[in-house]
Amino acid sequence: MAANPELRQQLEQAIDQNPVLLLMKGTPDAPRCGFSMRTVGILEQVGVEYGAIDVLPVLQPLRDVTAEISDWQTFPQLYVNGELVGGCDIVEEMFESGELSELLGVEQPATPPRSGDGSVGGGEDPEGPHQSPPMQIET
Amino acid sequence: MAADLNELRTMIEAALPGAKVEVVDEGGGDHLRAIVAAPQFEGRSRLEQHRLVKAAVKERFDDGTIHALSVRTSLPD
Repeated sequence: MAANPELRQQLEQAIDQNPVLLLMKGTPDAPRCGFSMRTVGILEQVGVEYGAIDVLPVLQPLRDVTAEISDWQTFPQLYVNGELVGGCDIVEEMFESGELSELLGVEQPATPPRSGDGSVGGGEDPEGPHQSPPMQIET
Repeated sequence: MAADLNELRTMIEAALPGAKVEVVDEGGGDHLRAIVAAPQFEGRSRLEQHRLVKAAVKERFDDGTIHALSVRTSLPD
């Protein structure tokens, strides 16, 4: 289905304006899906500032948009410097290998999380989460 | 409706001839994991590798049989 041009424009703008942008189900404080939660956990562990958009209010229209602009239809989606990096699997794999920290220009945290347990590092982050307020796209 | 793991494996194998494919159920029959080693992945980014796998089973996403498919890709040994 053809994507809503207005929504597409809004998303492209958000991707432009946020060097690190996560499209997720729910918000960083209240993720509504395990995969989104895991991805948030990794971003918080890496300690990078990021924007977050809750896709749930406009799920299907946004799927149509990301299908067009990134050939990717599932969420979460992590964009870095305007490019889709991937979903939870790719982000996890790249975090474990150190590629994600390299891409984000930060140092690899000392203890990577165990894969797949959904934990966000046991609340041991001394600096606290770095995140921009969640954004909402309205149609 | 629970997904047919064998069918999914066959779909991925058909899309990526020569691939070694494993599909496992991570719970509930609609959260699945596919572990795929395919010669076609050579020279492709992770994103493209995942696109190839997801495209192979797109029909089962579209009809709602699967909701989530974790993918782990690698080159064959």
